Amino acid sequence: MGNYLDQIRDAVIEGKHNDIEGLVKTAIEDNVNLNELINNTMITAMDVVGIRFAESEIFVPEMLVSAITMKKGLNLIKPLLKEEDAKSKGTIIMCTVKGDIHDIGKNIVIMMLEGAGFKVVDLGTDLNVEDLMQRIEEIKPDILGLSALLTTTMPQMNNIIETLESMRLRDSVKVMVGGAPVDSSFAEKIGADGYGKDAAEAVRLAREFVSAE
Amino acid sequence: MDIKPDFERIRKTVGHREPDRVPLCEVLVEYPIQSKFLGREVNSDDLESQLEFWIKAGYDFIPLTVGMMTPGKVTTESMISKVIREVMLKDSPDADKEEAWSLEHTSFINNRDDFERFPWEIAAKLDFSKFHEIKDILPEGMKVIAVSGKIFTLTWMLMGFNNFATSLIMDEKLVADVFRKVAEIQFQGLEKIFEMPHVGAVWVVDDLAFGTGPMISPQAFRDHVFTWYREMATRCHRNKLLFIMHSDGDLTALMEDIIDMGVDVLQPIDPTCMDIVKIQEGYGDRLCLVGNVSNELLRSGTPAEVEERVKYLIRNVAPGGGYCVGSGNSVPEWAKFENYMAMREATLKYGKYPIQL
Repeated sequence: MGNYLDQIRDAVIEGKHNDIEGLVKTAIEDNVNLNELINNTMITAMDVVGIRFAESEIFVPEMLVSAITMKKGLNLIKPLLKEEDAKSKGTIIMCTVKGDIHDIGKNIVIMMLEGAGFKVVDLGTDLNVEDLMQRIEEIKPDILGLSALLTTTMPQMNNIIETLESMRLRDSVKVMVGGAPVDSSFAEKIGADGYGKDAAEAVRLAREFVSAE
Repeated sequence: MDIKPDFERIRKTVGHREPDRVPLCEVLVEYPIQSKFLGREVNSDDLESQLEFWIKAGYDFIPLTVGMMTPGKVTTESMISKVIREVMLKDSPDADKEEAWSLEHTSFINNRDDFERFPWEIAAKLDFSKFHEIKDILPEGMKVIAVSGKIFTLTWMLMGFNNFATSLIMDEKLVADVFRKVAEIQFQGLEKIFEMPHVGAVWVVDDLAFGTGPMISPQAFRDHVFTWYREMATRCHRNKLLFIMHSDGDLTALMEDIIDMGVDVLQPIDPTCMDIVKIQEGYGDRLCLVGNVSNELLRSGTPAEVEERVKYLIRNVAPGGGYCVGSGNSVPEWAKFENYMAMREATLKYGKYPIQL
């Protein structure tokens, strides 16, 4: 059994998208513990992928193919999970702020968050504050992830946090921010809960937020 | 200080010799800034006013686009946008909606069938009218720089970034074919450029890196992108043109490749993630550097801060040639005009060789 798990782990890390389904099916037929398969094998494999990306050993394409590989495997496992075990790690709303249509970074972060077991609701790009507040009230996410590529759109993040406060929603949702011009001092200045410089850090932050709840 | 255009000023500094002063160099100054400088409206159709701006502001060239995209972004005027609107969305009720045609919002090549259907022949019909129009009004000593390239950016934009990135591994042949088509169109345009003696350089504008490093692996760049740029550089040099490259982001991991493929000038040495003094120490003897005055500083700083930054760059990077002053990307309309002027004036004031700072 251990051998399957090692192979599945390696398949996710190496992005062997053609091999993963066969390996997972075999593991399932062998009655492997599904929670262990997800949490101790596949999610930890994605952690390795995140570290390799952060250390520039791999790049966005390799990371995304690992995430696709992970997803293919998860799709086979999820229908077999008990309701309690199938729960996501938490719900995250992701979007780029008003005026910003650049979504490469956001989309990479989404794939990594999904790979880490979070349910992600992608609200797309160029989202105005009113629509965002409405969706936050409907979805009640644990975390709100905001992305901006432009220095000119960065102030929208501040605007969103102020609106969350005025609508008394701020305490119910953790806010993490990212994007090329954003840094930790900006995040602190606007009162965000955290800043992720890349997808791996966003995953680390999201885990911190939900484990603290 | 002499602001008479003289492309030899650029050639000398690229050759690591000191001209009379440090050249000014931008791939794009948006029209609202040009308008404020001249005190009257300058627009995309008004080539004479554009030329007047580039002359009076102190540049030795005027940049003109000869690609399917305008520098920096996809606009309504971009050739690729016209192809998409007028051919691909010809019968669509959404043809006028930006979300439907702009490659900033959507993509058109998701698979092999899309690739085969794409109207490449029409996209290849590049517009050279401005290149012809400017020939007779260009002052002596001034040259045109043909802004081309976007082989990498246009390929991923046509495919959508996620689809491009995953296909690079999962359907590499498709990605290679899109790269080839995009490159071939650029090469067709270049052949016409080479026949024009008033063109002094080709400037490829292609963002290859994020602030954290290359957007794809250096090996993937070598396999799919740099082969084309190496050929472009070779053809430029054969035709006595300089080969200039623009890319945002942290290019440190790609520097040796960039030099090896024949890039003469690199711009803008993204100040948000690259230290130009370190880059000059490591590579400055093999490459001319341009830019590095932060756009954030141009937006939110003061003229005095901009002047200090320009003095720092001239003092540390310009001695011996091999450096031109410019923004950290291009000069956008949201830059404070007084800061743009401070960058220009500080260059003219402190950039006289030998540097005395």
